[in-house]
Amino acid sequence: MLQWLPENVSTFGQGVDDLFHAIYWLTLIVFILVMGTLIVFLIKYRHQEGKKADYIEGSTTLEIVWTAVTTVIVFVLAMFSYPQWNNIKSPTQFPDNPDVVVQVSGKQFNWDMTYPGPDNEFGTDDDLELENELHVPVNAVVHIRLTSIDVIHSFFVPQLRLKQDALPNRFINVWFEATKAGRYEIPCAELCGFGHSGMLGYLNVHTQADYDAWVQERWPQ
Amino acid sequence: MTHNNSEVQERQPLSNARLGVLVLLGAETMLFSGLIGTFLVFRVGNVTWPPPSHIGIELPRVVTGINTALLLLSGYTMFQAWRAIQKDRVKQLRNWLLITGVLGLLFLGVQGSEWVQLIRNGLTLQSGVYGGIFYVLIGCHAVHVLSAVIWVFIVFAMAIAGRFSGDRYTGVDTCAIYWIFVVALWPILYVLVYLS
Amino acid sequence: MHDNEHASHDHEESFIRKYIFSLDHKTIGKQFLIYGLIMFFVGGGLALLFRWQLAYPDQPLPIIGASQQYLDEGEVVTGADKMWERIYESDKEEWLEINMPSGVITPEFYNMLFTMHATIMVFFVVVPILVGAFGNFLIPLMIGTRDMAFPILNMLSFWLAVLAAIVMAVGFFVPGGHAAAGWTGYAPLSADPQWTGVEWGQNLWAISLLIQGFSSLVGSINYITTIINMRAPGMTFFRMPLVIWSLFIVAILLLLAFPVLSSALALLIFDRLAGTTFFSATAEGGGDPLLWQHLFWFFGHPEVYILILPGMGIASELIPVFSRKPIFGYRSMVYAMIAIAFLGWIVWGHHMFQSGMRSEMGNFFMTTTMLIAVPSAIKTFNWLGTMFRGSIRFTTPMLHGIAFVSMFVIGGLSGIYMANTPVDIFIHDTYYIVAHIHYVVFGGSLFAIFGGIIFWFPKMYGRYMNDVLSKIHFWLTFIAFNCTFFPMHILGVGGHMRRISNPQQYEFLMEPTTIKFLMWQFEFQGFIGMNIFITMSAFTLGFAQLILVFNFFWSMYKGKVAEQNPWQVNTLEWEAPTPVPHGNFGQIPTVYRGPYEYSVPGEESDWIPQAQPEHAPATGGD
Ligand code: HEA
Ligand code: HEA
Ligand code: CUA
Ligand SMILES: [Cu+2]
Repeated sequence: MLQWLPENVSTFGQGVDDLFHAIYWLTLIVFILVMGTLIVFLIKYRHQEGKKADYIEGSTTLEIVWTAVTTVIVFVLAMFSYPQWNNIKSPTQFPDNPDVVVQVSGKQFNWDMTYPGPDNEFGTDDDLELENELHVPVNAVVHIRLTSIDVIHSFFVPQLRLKQDALPNRFINVWFEATKAGRYEIPCAELCGFGHSGMLGYLNVHTQADYDAWVQERWPQ
Repeated sequence: MTHNNSEVQERQPLSNARLGVLVLLGAETMLFSGLIGTFLVFRVGNVTWPPPSHIGIELPRVVTGINTALLLLSGYTMFQAWRAIQKDRVKQLRNWLLITGVLGLLFLGVQGSEWVQLIRNGLTLQSGVYGGIFYVLIGCHAVHVLSAVIWVFIVFAMAIAGRFSGDRYTGVDTCAIYWIFVVALWPILYVLVYLS
Repeated sequence: MHDNEHASHDHEESFIRKYIFSLDHKTIGKQFLIYGLIMFFVGGGLALLFRWQLAYPDQPLPIIGASQQYLDEGEVVTGADKMWERIYESDKEEWLEINMPSGVITPEFYNMLFTMHATIMVFFVVVPILVGAFGNFLIPLMIGTRDMAFPILNMLSFWLAVLAAIVMAVGFFVPGGHAAAGWTGYAPLSADPQWTGVEWGQNLWAISLLIQGFSSLVGSINYITTIINMRAPGMTFFRMPLVIWSLFIVAILLLLAFPVLSSALALLIFDRLAGTTFFSATAEGGGDPLLWQHLFWFFGHPEVYILILPGMGIASELIPVFSRKPIFGYRSMVYAMIAIAFLGWIVWGHHMFQSGMRSEMGNFFMTTTMLIAVPSAIKTFNWLGTMFRGSIRFTTPMLHGIAFVSMFVIGGLSGIYMANTPVDIFIHDTYYIVAHIHYVVFGGSLFAIFGGIIFWFPKMYGRYMNDVLSKIHFWLTFIAFNCTFFPMHILGVGGHMRRISNPQQYEFLMEPTTIKFLMWQFEFQGFIGMNIFITMSAFTLGFAQLILVFNFFWSMYKGKVAEQNPWQVNTLEWEAPTPVPHGNFGQIPTVYRGPYEYSVPGEESDWIPQAQPEHAPATGGD
């Protein structure tokens, strides 16, 4: 099943995938244990002439065992998950000094990308607005100010293992660092009206040289 | 059609009707929790309250404070009505019920005139979330008071018809439980909406 | 009301009193059952429509589409066309033309289809059957009383549900179409017609659910009061069958959860009709874009446990009976259900991990959500323990019980992936969620419902359901169900979003993929093939349900006549004569022991009914 995961191209994606694999093996083992036991019981204890069922009302020991074991598993899993989650979503733990800052704004049914320009400030004359095309350099920290002008959309880049809802009238900070140049799709993952299916942008991850050329072309100095 | 297997019910500390009303109050509590939660989201989410666009509109704190006292008083009179029927004093029951109902109506009347005043001053349902949640939350309570008042008058009519006595007063009981709930809810709303 | 004397001559009742506006809990239960089955076909039919679109995007629907050609070309080609000809002559022409021009489902219509599919399945199929039908039929019978505490309210509960269904149905035909914001109705999308173009559809959706809320409120007041106050002598709380426990807990959940949805729906209606801006962040003085989600999921998560707990209760009846053994760990089963119900209140945020909530909140909700695995583990292992050293009879209800356990485990385990915040970043709003939904509600609740129907049918109608047909239905459903929904996990892992009407618009879903498995190699053209496979399985699954419904109605009149206690069960409902008369029991039974005394050592028969006095002091339960 895991072979279907799209290729991972972000720095934090590996952590997500590792957890995915860990849970995959954990649940697979639990599943095999439960189903195996079930099937063995079904065969072994099927109704047979002259054989009576045993009168067993329960067992406190067993009850305690499976309560404790599950609790421990759950907490261990949680322990491993907190750092990954905080790393991706907690603004206080974002890498500082982003190389690129972009504002991404969802609207029915497009993504608006706004670059602050050389002065690094939004709302000035040198801002650049692009529709559905996001350009970033590879191996660089990108910060996105995510928002929406109408309903809720969701910024999703499968290969980055990144998803974040875009809320009207709120700015949510998102970060990522892509590790491989290429052109990736940015579908909208939250139902936002009849154009939701097909609301699609593109993330262009350039090599540093290409990116510099792109910047040069946009803001000639 | 009811088969009250009374042989079973008599062992129970609470009759079906009383228990049913108490259970209903659980649902009512959650309904108001939803609305109060909404109010708190807006209240906490806005640094200034009322929001800047509404500065200048004052909620009538004092009048409503007096009104609150009226309603609390009606809680007391309802309690007296309940005490009266427990002691089999049907006439007192009638009087106390009447006073309770009238107090409830008075409360609604004062509320209504306040609303008219507020709407004249420009606070309407459409005035952003401030006006919206004010009217919805207070209005929801008013609807409850209204239905409770109607209930009180029904019980009052039944009392006149002589349907209650010292050992048969479930109708008074259930109505009193509901009334007390509606009364007890109000001070919370008053403090939250008017004073915070 | 002082008419106890009516009990004996119910044959004098008019048809209307007896079958339509009945006050008898058994009739109301059956009414809810048939209501739910009818709505099941509506909801399932909608699913089949949009499944077609997912497999063959933008291609005309088979029958409807073919005859639409007739509409365009003016030529009668097939018999099906003749059939539709009449329909076109009516107003339907316009309706079809708007929603399915040339027989192709438009994106607007697609959104409406899955919204209504889920709304109907959740609020009009599973809850009415589990709570309305089984609750009404079983509670008075199993706790040993003559009827519900408030029979008139009980009747009101059913007719309010009918009214809600009618209001919901009207929505399909109003201009602008029906609600199309998902069953979760996320605001601001749902809060302002300008975003969707849906005018009255969304209003009717909200109004209908408000009515349904009243129906549940009335019903749950009735259940709680009845269970607390009207148990037969000797029926202590810890001698109640687990299904009654589950219904009791569910009634409390319904009572407390639904009003929260009602408050949200009321605010939504104000937003849409009275110009308030509670949910519209963009308006001046506007509201909070996440408010709806908090209110909805604060209701919504307890709601999903409302959907599963009675299923667990039913499984806990079926498994001991057909293993001829006491349930393993009766008390811990009860405590586990209480724990699930309690934890259900503090996990709602797991639906909102990607909504922009603070990351600390994410950590909190992840932990609480995963903790629900603990009581669920207790339940699962106790069911296994019940079969351990049993004497298992593979009757059809038992097969459904076993299917319930295994499918619930799959659905529950997939819940662990989603509860895990980092993993949920990727799989949120993908088909992984859709797979989870259907494993828990179809694999869980519906298998329990099927098992329950077949199990209690002899008590309801005095006849057996045809066993051959039941078995065919079971195996077809079981296989087709897994073929339909298991591949959805794979779609989800591939990143296939939910709620999209045309997956072929996305390159990453169309990439050729090679999968190696041991020595085999498989080539896939994106997910097209898998979507087609899912659709074909879904049609098979739908076909299987026709067998069930045919069997149900046929057996009502033609089934083999059943004796009073055909499965040799201990609980009280089987003490009542079949068919159960008005008033249920000649004399209210007295209960002497717990409900699961099977294969007691030293006893000749392997079951001892709860109401059988001779036996020495009770062993199980209390
Ligand atoms: C009957 C309904 C039902 C039930 C019972 C559940 C049960 C659970 N659900 Fe599910 N859920 C839904 C119905 C249900 N759900 C629906 C309808 C949605 C989608 C709503 C929408 O967006 O449209 C949803 C969505 C949903 C989400 C949101 C996903 C997203 O949108 O991103 C999450 C996230 O945490 C989740 C988690 C869980 C968990 C942890 C359980 C747990 O209760 C499961 C516990 C059970 C087990 C774990 C298996 C048995 C245990 C063992 C065998 C022991 C060993 C196990 C371990 C050691 C792990 N569910
Ligand atoms: C109790 C709940 C329940 C049940 C039983 C089902 C049953 C089914 N569901 Fe549903 N489903 C949900 C609850 C449920 N679903 C929810 C909550 C969602 C989320 C919605 C949202 O995103 O808002 C969802 C979403 C959902 C999707 C995702 C849509 C999307 O995101 O784009 C899909 C896709 O395949 C699907 C398919 C099915 C299928 C094939 C069945 C089948 O099992 C149905 C089988 C039954 C029948 C088919 C009935 C038999 C009828 C006939 C044989 C008559 C034939 C009639 C005609 C063809 C007109 N469901
Ligand atoms: Cu934008 Cu979906
Ligand atoms: Cu949930």
